[in-house]
Amino acid sequence: MNPDDRLRRLFGNLDAEPGFEERVMQRVAMLATAPREDLQVQYERRRALLRRRLKREAWMNGITALGLGACAGALLWRYASEIRWLATHYTPLIDPNLLAVGTVAALGALVWLLIKRAQSGR
Amino acid sequence: MPADDAIIELIQNGRAGEAFERLMPAYRRRVFGLAYSLLRDRAAAEDVAQEVFVKLWQALPRYDGRAQLSTWIYAITRNTSISALRKRRRTLSMSDAAVQDEVESRSAPAATEPEDEALWRQVAALPDKQRQAVTLYYQDERTVEEVAAMMGLPVNTVKTHLHRARASLADALRAAGREGA
Repeated sequence: MNPDDRLRRLFGNLDAEPGFEERVMQRVAMLATAPREDLQVQYERRRALLRRRLKREAWMNGITALGLGACAGALLWRYASEIRWLATHYTPLIDPNLLAVGTVAALGALVWLLIKRAQSGR
Repeated sequence: MPADDAIIELIQNGRAGEAFERLMPAYRRRVFGLAYSLLRDRAAAEDVAQEVFVKLWQALPRYDGRAQLSTWIYAITRNTSISALRKRRRTLSMSDAAVQDEVESRSAPAATEPEDEALWRQVAALPDKQRQAVTLYYQDERTVEEVAAMMGLPVNTVKTHLHRARASLADALRAAGREGA
């Protein structure tokens, strides 16, 4: 027997167990007679779970932002004298046009990132 | 497909219940075959097939005819099978891979004869897409176009999978024949 015939023999009988349609109809009947109250309870439970998850995520985001802010503040405080020294000695050397272009580019990138983030979170 | 036209007409006339009664025998083998080709486990495929028809029963009144009926049903079957696969992978940890292989290897469709069992082992060893294409193609003497629609892949890709699968199986059968001789 060639491989084609053997494969046909192997897969030709591939079907669900007898009584499949009756089993599906039983599940459908159970679903159709499920009290509406149950569905309402399920819906409320899913909503509560979602609300709790979103709240937890908001807390985590807040804590992360606070942590990052605290780190940045600590660094600024720790290196305040060096930063002041750099600012007094190097600021006059920076081209004001370059500084303006750089600032605008950085702000643009920040806005673009915020827009992308808002779109993906929709 | 003429059967699909009749089913769609019933849905459009607000007779979704009757449409569902016609749809189930028309699509049972295809839905089961597609689920089986993805899951490699008869019991899991049966479960998924039932779930697909329950979903269809719920969604049928909302079917708007934008996608072909068969394409829509195959997409639901693929998504439901993939969800079941993910759940199974979560349940079985990496250390249970051997158990999973054992379950799958025992799920041969109708391998009652020893030479069928050998062929099944060779099919089971094929890469996923090749195994899926072979299962669907030989289950019901389907056309490559229909198998492509079921798998959600281009026709030429399915032809390539089938060609490679047949070549691998022929090599394996020849090798097995040499060993047996």
